[in-house]
Amino acid sequence: MERDLPSDRFMELDAGDDDALLIQRIDSNEIIYCPPKRKYKLVGKYVMGDKLGEGSYGKVKECLDSTTLQRRAIKIMKRKTLRRIPNGDQNVQREIRLLRRLRHHNVISLYDVYHNEAKGKIYMVMEFCVTGLQEMLDRSKDKKLPIWQANKYFVQLVEGLEYLHSRGVVHKDIKPGNLLLTSDNMLKISDFGVAEQLDVLAGKDEITTSQGSPLFQPPEVAGGARVFSGFKVDVWSAGCTLYNLTSGKYPFEGENMFRLFENICEKPLVMPEELDPVLKTLLEGMLRKEPSERLSLNLVKSHDWCCKKHPRTEEEVSLGGDDDRHSISIVPYLRSNYYDSESEEELFTEHQLNESRNQAECKSEMSGTDLQETRGAHTKRRRRKPTSCISVKSITSCKQS
Amino acid sequence: MSLFRKSPKSPQEVSKALKDALTALERSDKKAEKVSGKAQEDTSKSLTQIKTMLYGTSDSEPQDIVLAQLAHEFYNSNMLLLLIHNLHRIDFEGKKDVAQIFNNILRRQIGIRSPTVEYICTKPEILFTLMKGYEHQDIALHCGTMLRECARYEALTRIILYSDDFYNFFKYVEVSTFDIASDAFSTFKELLTKHKMLCAEFLEQNYDRVFTQYEHLLNSENYVTRRQSLKLLGELLLDRHNFSVMKRYISNPDNLKLMMIMLKEKSRNIQFEAFHVFKVFVANPDKPRPILEILLRNQDKLVEFLTRFHTDRSEDEQFNDEKAYLIKQIKELKPLPPDQ
Repeated sequence: MERDLPSDRFMELDAGDDDALLIQRIDSNEIIYCPPKRKYKLVGKYVMGDKLGEGSYGKVKECLDSTTLQRRAIKIMKRKTLRRIPNGDQNVQREIRLLRRLRHHNVISLYDVYHNEAKGKIYMVMEFCVTGLQEMLDRSKDKKLPIWQANKYFVQLVEGLEYLHSRGVVHKDIKPGNLLLTSDNMLKISDFGVAEQLDVLAGKDEITTSQGSPLFQPPEVAGGARVFSGFKVDVWSAGCTLYNLTSGKYPFEGENMFRLFENICEKPLVMPEELDPVLKTLLEGMLRKEPSERLSLNLVKSHDWCCKKHPRTEEEVSLGGDDDRHSISIVPYLRSNYYDSESEEELFTEHQLNESRNQAECKSEMSGTDLQETRGAHTKRRRRKPTSCISVKSITSCKQS
Repeated sequence: MSLFRKSPKSPQEVSKALKDALTALERSDKKAEKVSGKAQEDTSKSLTQIKTMLYGTSDSEPQDIVLAQLAHEFYNSNMLLLLIHNLHRIDFEGKKDVAQIFNNILRRQIGIRSPTVEYICTKPEILFTLMKGYEHQDIALHCGTMLRECARYEALTRIILYSDDFYNFFKYVEVSTFDIASDAFSTFKELLTKHKMLCAEFLEQNYDRVFTQYEHLLNSENYVTRRQSLKLLGELLLDRHNFSVMKRYISNPDNLKLMMIMLKEKSRNIQFEAFHVFKVFVANPDKPRPILEILLRNQDKLVEFLTRFHTDRSEDEQFNDEKAYLIKQIKELKPLPPDQ
């Protein structure tokens, strides 16, 4: 696997010095680091900020609309990478096409698309979200949300889905990982890479493919049906999502894909004991194996569990804004552009770095939060480092004494 | 009782006070030319007290029991209707309070029940009075706020849609005062789009009446009305819930003619919206004969027109694909066999 090393992470060795070729032991105190240069960069009218996350398609950075000063997220993809993913390029084009035409408060907005042919990059500027449901689940106790909170998000999911379906869009990949949240707790359905636009003039919602996440696939897909109802696929996946949010479990599991699909098709649905009977009837209705018997979205929407006011009994799982994770990362970039001066640069040694690392770890152990928690909402795996990148400025005493 | 600490009034007392004040207000207004200052003051005071009960203050949360009692008083004394009837007599701040109080009581929920919604269902006059509010400049926007809150509930939307008064909206959205017209339009849109199944059923059942009136909006003198109504038309027709309405709409040659005229409007925005309706006529796999005739009669002109249509939208791939598809479809139209 090839991986691009950040260009600012190389060692500047004294070129003319023969001794530098020998292996030397350097005391950590003697290596001097400087914080990463935050170079001001514009893509279109957007000022680029820190990386929020990374996925198989590319990375997501925070950015700032320089004309309106609104925070946005920018998805950056390389054509080269896309070509290596099956249907990669096609999926991105599809997502762009679909999102351009969609406008709803529970569907992620796409504001701008840029192509940089020279660099072979595609940029998608989208709504900024602070976190996603999967991330919140990972952080929560027992990997589930309080009922009232799950209800709050689920109702929004249904609203967003209703809109998508009314526009003839089948999402096909509804799962907590694709449901993002803004800082004001609005749920945004995202990732339209495998979604499908139905023909306006076709009266039916028949589709023939579904490539969403296996755990959330309905029996008709797992069983390999040739043609099936698209909307009912989304209802099933939304049902799995609700099951997952409220119980921390998945309705069907399996040690491998084959077993999983077999279980989805054949195993009877087992309800988590602790759920209340009204919620159970909703889940049971959404997870009926036979698509024609499965609840329609409209029935889901008017189900008692959705209409009911749920008392706030358990404590909320927060969006995770208790540290600086949600503060805007653009400022240093702006500063470097407008007030640039080398003198302000802070240099520090590895020793100091380790110290601060240890301190941070102690702190996080005490507060019980994981230091390596993911920050951005737009990806699953991302490690946070005390300094995001480091460069060895100069090695002062590397000559043999 | 201490002189300095007024004991807070009970919900019963406050609603009685409000009712008396409103009655006085109404009476004085009918008798004399001028509204009584005293009655107006009393009304505002009671409204402020009620608002505090409902929304609480910075250091006291609203209490459930008080809310329940207040709502109960309101239902029993028919207060919501009384308030709306007298809305134009209440002062400016008071009008805003009324809207806030109304919306709060409306949102009240017990388990899965919404008692105020159930109550209004038995008193639909409340809804009709609110709609009539659009005819009075000084209360139109307040009534709009309350109506849109009502439109969140399917049961109330049903009453509104199936009433004769609903068709007044076709007038309201065109009134000369811009803010009122646009407020009325957003309510109108909300009513027709919020509850998909209900709206689809309503449009199907009342197709002729609605679309005859709708055509007037599309032919309006007013640019904003034309543009907004065309955009909403596109949204309604392309909503899958309204599939059968769409099929019906695109088989009528008059509608096609109208869209072709709109394609040539001066405004580019209108042209673009018209395109999205026009495309459905052409893409329809079973076009009725009259539609085919129009398309065939204009075949060459349409191809030429579309080829030069919004060529600067190069970044919108979907639009260009659709345009290319339409051009191809129109080019390939076969002459019809002679009429038998």
